[in-house]
Amino acid sequence: MLHDQLPWYVGGPVMGLCVIAIRALVNGRLGVTGAFSEVIDRVGRGSLRFDWRGWFLIGLVAGGGLFALFAGGPVFEGYGWLTDTFHGSGRILIAAILLAAGVMIGFGAKTAGGCTSGNGLTGTSMLSSASLAATATFFATAIAISFLIKALI
Amino acid sequence: MRLRLAGLAVGLVFGVTLAWTGMSSPEVIRSALLFEKAYLFEFFAAAVLTATVGVHLLRRARVRALLTGERVGWKPEAPARRHVLGSVLFGTGWAVADACPGPIATQVGQGIVWSLFTVAGVVLGIWLFLRRQPAAIDA
Repeated sequence: MLHDQLPWYVGGPVMGLCVIAIRALVNGRLGVTGAFSEVIDRVGRGSLRFDWRGWFLIGLVAGGGLFALFAGGPVFEGYGWLTDTFHGSGRILIAAILLAAGVMIGFGAKTAGGCTSGNGLTGTSMLSSASLAATATFFATAIAISFLIKALI
Repeated sequence: MRLRLAGLAVGLVFGVTLAWTGMSSPEVIRSALLFEKAYLFEFFAAAVLTATVGVHLLRRARVRALLTGERVGWKPEAPARRHVLGSVLFGTGWAVADACPGPIATQVGQGIVWSLFTVAGVVLGIWLFLRRQPAAIDA
């Protein structure tokens, strides 16, 4: 049953409720980039005393683990267009591409003040014009780059 | 302590939902960004709509946050160059890896080995930003 995708009209509102819960409990802004940032900042200063955002990230990873446990392992094989495109020793390229993409995601989201959750979900729900501009930009860019990749491979 | 437990609990729900909705699957993200499937857009719209109604009702009711006692509210932020430039960079990485920070974290928990490279990149990218600009913005 867990292998079936949760319907969007269930999953979507649950995500929205998470944003509401963080507002109602701590008047905070739910954002995964901020959560990563909190952990990196503390660890960089030799501390593991994370605030709620660090624990939110721990919860995310644990949530993925919990789901895998109930679903009986990963729910997909390979890794999208990357493992479809690169085979054998070419797979070392996948590692390099994912690392570079990760740097763009981390540095870009920090620069923009949030990612899909912080700007796309939370900032948009606050009707923040900065977040609306960021969300329109990253969706448009991701769509354009996806079509570009499709044209190239 | 209670704040950390709250963070952990909401993170768990968020993480299970991301995995269960397939948001941590690169194929699901790619098929949405190529307009082959509408699921991501429906899911995202439902999430934004729910959150928007909820946080505005909380603000209008002038409630205080349960754990901090702070009045629920936020300051408006005007768009600046960094929101657009950062999002171009972020959007590019998102389309290449077909994962954004939330799903990258749940992929690690799901035992998807490829995600270790993406998460290493995210950590490196954020670290580079924090090194340049320690008085970080709130994300």
